[in-house]
This record gives sequence, C-alpha cells and structure tokens, in this order.
Amino acid sequence: MDLGGLPILSAVIFTPLIGALLIALVPREREDLTRWLALGTALVTFGLSLLLLPGFDPTAPGFQYVETADWIPAFGIQYKVGVDGMALVLVLLTTTLTWISILASFGPIRSRLKEYMISFLILEVGMIGVFLALDLFLFYIFWEMVLVPMYLIIGIWGGANRIYATLKFVLYTLVGSLLMLVAILAAAFSFQSATGSWAGAFDFEQLRGFGFDPTLQFFAFGAFFLAFAIKVPMFPFHTWLPDAHVEAPTAGSVILAGVLLKLGGYGIIRFCLPLFPDAAQQWAPLLIVLSLIAIIYGAIVAMVQPDLKKLVAYSSVSHMGFVTLGIFIFQPQGMQGAILQMVNHGIITGALFLCVGVLYERTHDRSIARMGGLAASTPVYAAIFGFFMLASLGLPGMAGFVGEFLVLLGTFDHSPIAAAVASVVVILAAGYLMWMYQRVVFGELSDFLKGVGHHLTDMDRRELVTLTPLVGLTLVLGVAPALVLDLIQMPVGEVLARVGGSLVGAAP
Amino acid sequence: MPFFTEAPETVATAGSSLDQALVLALLALPLAGFGLTALVGRRMGDKAWAIAVPAIVLVWLAALYLIFQTLVAGAYGEAGLHFRLYEWIPAGDFTVEVDFGVDALTAVMLIVVTTVGMLVHVYSIGYMAHDPGRWRFFAYLNFFMFSMLLLVLADNFLLLFVAWELVGLSSYLLIGFWYRRRSAALAAKKAFIVNRAGDFGFGLGIMAIWTTVGTLDYSDVFQLLPAQVESGAIEGWQMTGICLLLFAGAIGKSAQFPLHVWLPDAMEGPTPVSALIHAATMVNAGVYLVARANPLFAQSPEALLVVALVGTFTCVMAAAIAFTQKDIKRVLAYSTLSQLGYMFMALGVGAFVPAIFHLVTHGFFKGLLFLGSGSVIHAVHEEQDMDRMGGLWRRIGITHVTMLIGSLAIAGIPPLAGFFSKDEILGESFKLGFGWVWAIGIIVAVMTALYMFRLMGKTFYGPSNVDPHTEPRIHESPISMTGPLMLLAVPSVLIGFALGWPPESGLIHQWLAPVFHPLEEALHHGAADYQLLGIDGFLLGASVAVSAVGMVVAWRLFGFLSTMAPRPALVASLTARLNGPYRISRDKWYFDDLNHLLFVRVGGAVARALWWFDVHVIDGAVNGVASLTQGTGHGLRQIQTGRVQNYALGIAGGLLVIAVGYLFIVAR
Repeated sequence: MDLGGLPILSAVIFTPLIGALLIALVPREREDLTRWLALGTALVTFGLSLLLLPGFDPTAPGFQYVETADWIPAFGIQYKVGVDGMALVLVLLTTTLTWISILASFGPIRSRLKEYMISFLILEVGMIGVFLALDLFLFYIFWEMVLVPMYLIIGIWGGANRIYATLKFVLYTLVGSLLMLVAILAAAFSFQSATGSWAGAFDFEQLRGFGFDPTLQFFAFGAFFLAFAIKVPMFPFHTWLPDAHVEAPTAGSVILAGVLLKLGGYGIIRFCLPLFPDAAQQWAPLLIVLSLIAIIYGAIVAMVQPDLKKLVAYSSVSHMGFVTLGIFIFQPQGMQGAILQMVNHGIITGALFLCVGVLYERTHDRSIARMGGLAASTPVYAAIFGFFMLASLGLPGMAGFVGEFLVLLGTFDHSPIAAAVASVVVILAAGYLMWMYQRVVFGELSDFLKGVGHHLTDMDRRELVTLTPLVGLTLVLGVAPALVLDLIQMPVGEVLARVGGSLVGAAP
Repeated sequence: MPFFTEAPETVATAGSSLDQALVLALLALPLAGFGLTALVGRRMGDKAWAIAVPAIVLVWLAALYLIFQTLVAGAYGEAGLHFRLYEWIPAGDFTVEVDFGVDALTAVMLIVVTTVGMLVHVYSIGYMAHDPGRWRFFAYLNFFMFSMLLLVLADNFLLLFVAWELVGLSSYLLIGFWYRRRSAALAAKKAFIVNRAGDFGFGLGIMAIWTTVGTLDYSDVFQLLPAQVESGAIEGWQMTGICLLLFAGAIGKSAQFPLHVWLPDAMEGPTPVSALIHAATMVNAGVYLVARANPLFAQSPEALLVVALVGTFTCVMAAAIAFTQKDIKRVLAYSTLSQLGYMFMALGVGAFVPAIFHLVTHGFFKGLLFLGSGSVIHAVHEEQDMDRMGGLWRRIGITHVTMLIGSLAIAGIPPLAGFFSKDEILGESFKLGFGWVWAIGIIVAVMTALYMFRLMGKTFYGPSNVDPHTEPRIHESPISMTGPLMLLAVPSVLIGFALGWPPESGLIHQWLAPVFHPLEEALHHGAADYQLLGIDGFLLGASVAVSAVGMVVAWRLFGFLSTMAPRPALVASLTARLNGPYRISRDKWYFDDLNHLLFVRVGGAVARALWWFDVHVIDGAVNGVASLTQGTGHGLRQIQTGRVQNYALGIAGGLLVIAVGYLFIVAR
C-alpha cells in the first residue's frame, strides 16, 4: 500500500500529541467536546496503526517503515523509528486498548477531565514510542515519558490510598530505569571507544551487531533487565502492582495491565537478548526459576485475595511469568508463545479490569465477600465477565490458551520438569478464577447488593461497546492465532539467532 | 529438540465433498443452534427449544448417513474419512491443523452421542418446560453437542484436547445451571477443577508426544511412536510415561479413582444433563481416549496394568457406595462410575472391543435409567430421596416398565444389552489370563444387581412413602418425556444381541477390527475360538447366575412388583450388624473429607501464609529500602536548595562520575 510518502510511524506516535494539544485549547466547561476529541484522536491513531498492516511484509527481516533523522549529532543520537512484527502487534494492542480505555472513562471521570484526557493521550505517545524507537536514547525518553502521565492518572484520579501507590509505582520504576540509563551510556561509550566515533553509538541496529565484552554485558544486562523486570513485573519485584491496580481508576488499570507490563517483556526481547546475548545465557537459569516461582506463587496468592482488583493483579504476576519463562528458554515455540501471551494477556486482563470497573461504578466496592448473585440481576454482565474469566484460565478456543500452551511446549522441550511445574497453574488458575466467579456471580443476591438497589443495572450501551470488541478479539485470536504468529515468526527467529538458542524451523 | 522425522502426508481424500460437508454440519448445526439460542432464546419463551432441538435432529440424520457410509457401506475404506479445515497454530516446526476424521471408532461413538443426544434434547422439551431459564439450558445443551462431536471427530491430539476442555466447560455450565443453589455452583466448580487436574497430565502427555515425534496427528503418532520404541530410539519407560500422562486425562473425564469425586456432585445439574453428559457421552471420553491411543498402549503392558487396576478398583468402590445412597440420582451416578470402571478394566486387560461395546450398551441403558429417574423426580415433585418414594409402579406405568428394562439390562440379565457386553468383558479378562480381574468383575456383577434392584424396590415397590401433599398429584410425564424413554428401551433390549451375537465375533468386532488391529496383534496372538460348550459357556453361566442371585436377594429385601413385599426390619438389622462397612459406604469412603482437608484447609493455609509473606517480607523489604532512603534524605536535606540549576549540575556531575568511572574500570 502506498502511503504517499507519509512518515506513517511518526504519524502514529504523534497523532495523540496533536490531540492532546487540541484538547488543551478546549474551554474547561466543554466536557463533551473534550471527551469526543480524545476518543476521536485515539480512534484516528488506531486507524493509522491499522494502515501499517497492508504494506507490512512479515517475511522480511529487520525493520520496516524506518524513519531516521539526526537529533544530537555530536553523540550520534538520532530520531530513529521502525517496526517489526513484534512491535507491530504490540502497537496494535496499544492503540486498541487506548480508545477502549478512553471510552470507558467517559462515565467514571468527572473531575479535571481535560487534564485526564491529555494525560491519557500523552501516555499513548510514550507507549507507542517505546515499541517503535530504534535509538536507545530515544527509547529511554519514551520509556520515561510513560511514567509521568501514569503517575498523574493514579495520583489524581485514583482511590483513597492513591498517593502511596503512585509514589511507590514511580519510585520503583525510576530506580530501574535510571540504572538502565547508566547501562545505555556505558554501552554507547564502549561502542565509541571501540569504533572511535559516536556515529551509531545509540543506534540499536548498529549496537546489536557489536559484541560487547563479557563484563559489560553482565552488568548492562542486569541494569536493563532490572528496569524491565520491575515493569513486567517479575517476582520478587512485583509488589508495586497490586497497590497500583487497587488505587488506579479503571482505565488506568486497563492500560497498566494491558500495555505497561508489556513494555517490560518487549524490552527484554528487543534489547536485553540481542545486545547482551552472552549475559542472557548466563542469567537465564536464574530467570527461568524466578519465572516458575512467579507463575505458581502469583496463582496461589491470587487464591486468597479479598479484593477483585488484587486478585486480577496477582493473576497478572502469574500470567506474565509465562512471558519471561517463554523468553528465557531460548526456544522458538516458547518465545512465540511469550509474545502471543503478552497480546492475549493485554486483551483478557484489560477486559477483566473493565469488568471490575463496571461493578465498581455501581457499587463503589470491589470486595468479593460483599458480592453474590449477579447472574440473576445482571445477566449480560455475568455472561461477559464469565467469558473473560474462562479466557483468563486458558480455555481452548479463546486467546489465552495458545500462548500458554506454546510456552509450556517450548519449556517441555527444554526441561519436562519445568513444564510440569508451570503446568500446575492450569489447576490453580481454574481454582482462583472460578472460586471468585462463583462468589460474585452465583448464589442469591447478597445483602450488600440488595442495598445497592436500583443502581445495580446491567451493562449500558457504552460499556458494551468497550467490551464487545475484546470479546471478538479473544475469540478470533483463539481460533486464528496465526494472525499474530505469522507476524512474530521472523523477529523471534532473529532474536534467537542472536542469542544462540535452538533454531530448528524458527525462520520460515 | 524434537526428534524430527519427515511425517508421511496422511490426509487422504476418501469421501466426496458431500461427506465432508456433512461432517462440518455435525459441528456447525449445534454451534449455530447455541449462538442463536443464546442471542434470541430469551425472547422465544415457551419455544426456546425451537432452534436447538431441530438442529440436533438434523445432526442425528447427518450422523446416521456417515455411520452407514463408514460401517456398513465401507465407503471410506479401512482408514476412514479424513480432511483438513485450516491450519490452526503455525509456530515454526510446531503446526497444528484443524483436521477431522471419521473411522469405525468415531462412527460407533457417533451412534451413542447423536442418538442419546437427540433423545435427551426431545425429552428436555417436557422436562424443562416450566423453568424460566430454559433458553439457557437449550443453548448450553447445543454447545455440549458441538464440543462432544468435536471430541470424536478431531484427528489430532491438540484438537482433541480443545474439545476435551470444551465438554468440561459445557459440563460446568450445565451442572451449575441452577446457579442460585450454592450446592450447584460448588459442584460445577468442583467438576471443572478436578477435571483440570486430569488435564494437567493430559497436556504434558501431548507435549511429550510432540517433543518425541514432532507431530500430533493421530495416524503419524500411532506409526512413529511405536516404531521408535521398536528401534530403541526411546525407552519403554518413556512410552509408559506418555501413556500414563494421557491416562491422567482419562481418569479425570471418566471420573475414575482418585479423580472420581466430581461426578456424584455433578448430579446437581438438571436430570437430562446427568443422562446425556454424566452417563451416556462425556464421561465416556476417557474410554475413547485410551481406545483411540491403543497403538501406544499396546507398547506398554505396564500402562495397561495401571489402567486395569484403576478400573477394577473404581468398579468395586463405586458399587459399594451405590449400595447405601438415598438420592436416586446419586445411586445412578455411582453406578456410572462402576460401569466405567468395567470399561477401563476391559481396556486394561486388552479387551478393547468389549470395552467399546460396553460403552455403547451402557450409553443407552444408563441414559434410559437417568431419564427414567428424571421422570420419577418429576412425578413426585422434585423429590430425589428414595426414602420418600415407594409404590410408584402402578402410578407411573411407562416410567416403571422402561426403568425395569434398564435395570435388567445393567444387571446383565440375558438377552438384554448389558448382558452381552459385560459377559464379553468378563470372559475375555479370564481368557487373557487376568483371573483376578474376572473374579472382581463377578463380585461387582452381584453388587450391580443388588443396588439396582434396591433402587427399583425403594422407588417403585412396597408401600408409598411419598409426601401426603404430593401423593394425589403424582402423574405420568408427558409424551415428550415418555417417548424418549420408550425409544431408549428398544436399544437397551436389542443392541447387545444385534451387535454382540455371535459372541466375540459380532458386528461390533467386525466394525472395530481395523481400529484395534495393532493391539490385537500384540496381545491376542493364538487366542482360542469361542466355545459355547466349553470355558466360554461356563463363564457366561457364572456371570448370569451371580447376577440373578443378586437380583433375587434385592427383591427379597426391597420388594418386587406385587409378588414380594419389602422387609425393612431385615434391612435395618443387616445395616446394624454391618455398621462399620455401612458407614464407610454411606460416607463415600471419606474421599471428600480427605480432599477438603488437603486442598481447602491445608491449601488455604499455605496460600494465606504466602500472602502474608508477600505483604510483610517482600513488600516489607521494598518499603524498608524506601524509608531507609528517606532517612538518608533527611540527613542530606541541607543540599536541597530548591534551585533547578543546582539539581541539573548534580545530575550532570553524577553522570560524569559514572561515565568516568566506567571508562577507567570497565572499558580498560
């Protein structure tokens, strides 16, 4: 498809920024205009990101739609963006979840609407930028750019304990990312001292061909990985997540679980493995063990959570454990499964947070113990919530299953014992999700919900519009996972070639 | 790394596109019925069945054609009809296709699944007529048919696994159909989770197969895996391991010890569901899996022995529990466990055809018995306790006669269906050298006759114990319910003779011979012909004699028609004398209590401990570091000047220090 010389990636990245600027000009009392402008911007961004698909060649190696411009020539820092199959699916996930989140915020957000929408659109700029940046410095800028709006979204529009949660989220993430900045600079210095020139010292495509010395690799990997592991979040760096989710507004939780956690998984695959392949091999055994712990531990702790959001948060720790497990077994099916799992988890967990939000809107409560009997009073809600409950526990035919199975299959190939340990989660996930669902949805209507009275209405049209596309995506990716798998085949092959993993049949 | 062998292209093109279209229709019709009923069923009111039931009648007709083509006309040859819909998962060298196959085994399964399925759909029109949620019921029932048909039509292990989980979902939805009842919601959850415990093994088994032979297609796996055992590429224990992992799935789905605990609770679902899913079709999936994978099990006598042990144990245990239960559906549920135990017993000794034969006959007569029990429950206004029944046989005549036929069939009285299949299981066990299996099977035959005629006696004979308010309103069920009972009574009488005569070479043997060919070769070489006047006649006589004895004893204790009166005093004194065994049986061998202790109590404590650890230790460490930093920050407050330039200077200086330090230490 001919895009007429349009710098399409920059268009996708900066459209939300334009929208944010426009919203800034809207008078404060025109709330509806603000809402529709934000939604319109997000939809245009989504549409632009879809335009990437027709011209994208999934069989071509490397990056496509690459744009380069000098930025700080003295240090070889460039504005360089490009997309491969992995970045493409994650950008699409981001643009999809962003418009859904903005639409989901129409009702709940009543104060400082303008600032909220601006924050959300700037957040989108940062997220898309992270997935598309090919210059490490640019990447770092986008990476930190994500932090500020999220800090505001939790800190201003969050729950009672929002300040504690948002500070914890920001400080924790900052610690990781500052160390990453040091590692980025160290890598650039090392490149410069070896080549005698700053040209390309921050260029990912240059750096990934450059063999860093083992000591640097070891420490730089550690610094990068810490930043990403906190984002994932990987056991034992996960404790900010339940707090942040509980305090975040619904849409904040959707984006946090749906996209922000994926920044971590993406960073590991994009940067940690190709730049520091030897260190990755060294670290892998420890990280596989931590992933296994996360998978089982997250599921067990989810079992006894009294709060719906905390339960979903701990389930994220468990599900994201599959992502890191799939990455560090360095095996084609495992890594494809890991990326697919990121997409699936984004859709399914995003939807689960929307479902919790629907309930919270009506009851101002998330305590599982107070709920009960929703099936009879709000049947459509019960059906959709049940649908995503089943998707989350990995029911075949829905999106979650294929990613999880591929990771387990790859792991079995590597170590049957590890696969057996991780497989226990199929029982545990059924346990915590179905127990939660039974207490919230089945039985007679609880006294607490009776007290809510006529406010306990079934889903309205707007809520259906936010959740129905996710129902569709969950089914489509369950029945036709090839839509994602065909796109990520090549990037996975390239990463594994770099890291020296087993490569039988990885490349098409 | 998978041992990668170039797999032969096995997608044959037998069968016309019409045949393929009909196979797809078997899946598309119920799926469409589910979708439509789910969307518009609520607005259909009384006619909520008007999409779902016709869809299954059409499925039944299409299936009849395919069954005829496969088994009678032999239109697809020995290998059967196989074709591909599309490539489902393309992940490097791991690819899984949506492939379907219809061979003799699938066709035999289709007989049971579509016939009982169709009759249960019709029966439900009457049974669910007054339930406000009937549209949901018919939608779920159609979804179950889709999943179950996918299960028997799937042509590779992962697609089978998909269907395996989807029937589990249907089962979950239908057990919990009356979700307001806490017991129903709990039973649904329990069924799903216990099944998942089995699927844990099944899933690992599938992974093990792929990493060994690099494919999941049935025909390739069944060629390559045995070949690898023979060539020594994999050890015997690995083959046994794969078989046992697959068998774990079978244990869960077919409710065998120790994963049997979900099935009795599953009786919380509406009775048509108990008949269709938890007696006639879904619970057979485990038997089907082992039978399907027979070329693998043929390579592992150890795995087969485990199958036989599990089957035999479940067979006795469940029969012993069935004897003391008061709820009519629970008796039938434990009876189902026990009969499934017979099937696994048969598989374990290598009598694969008799196992499938019993699956077929049991599907019909147990479906009949459950639907009959539903008619009884309907008649006495939703009462399930047999102590509040009795004397119903003159009041609900059709239900009584058809259930009597079902009871005679399950008790193994000739010439009804159960006699032929059970006799083949026992006879072959004995002749294949498993005397102990035969002996236990004979004991269970007595027990079967006893508990079934106890059920009949307490329900239909003797004086009435029905609630006086209900008594005058007892009524026979409408024709939509009695019709299926009568239609199921026909195969319960005839199908044993029709498929099983002459013994060991009846139609069922001729049909299934190609499927079990490798197994027969491995296990049955030199088996003697059937001798009615020799060993076989003796075995047959023995099993009939013990069943008759059990039946007559039950008549004497619990009554029969108007000829024999029940003797409650005798029953009470027997119960008192055998108090210990009685209580163990009544309390279901304490498995539920053990599970509660292990998983709810201990498991819950572990989970709470880990949560405490998470909040206080892991997060405590994080917050500890934070407050330590804060404390240090207080000390360093002097350098906080509030001037941005100073901060910028600090940041720049810090970076400089790091960079210089790096240059000196690392880059050197």
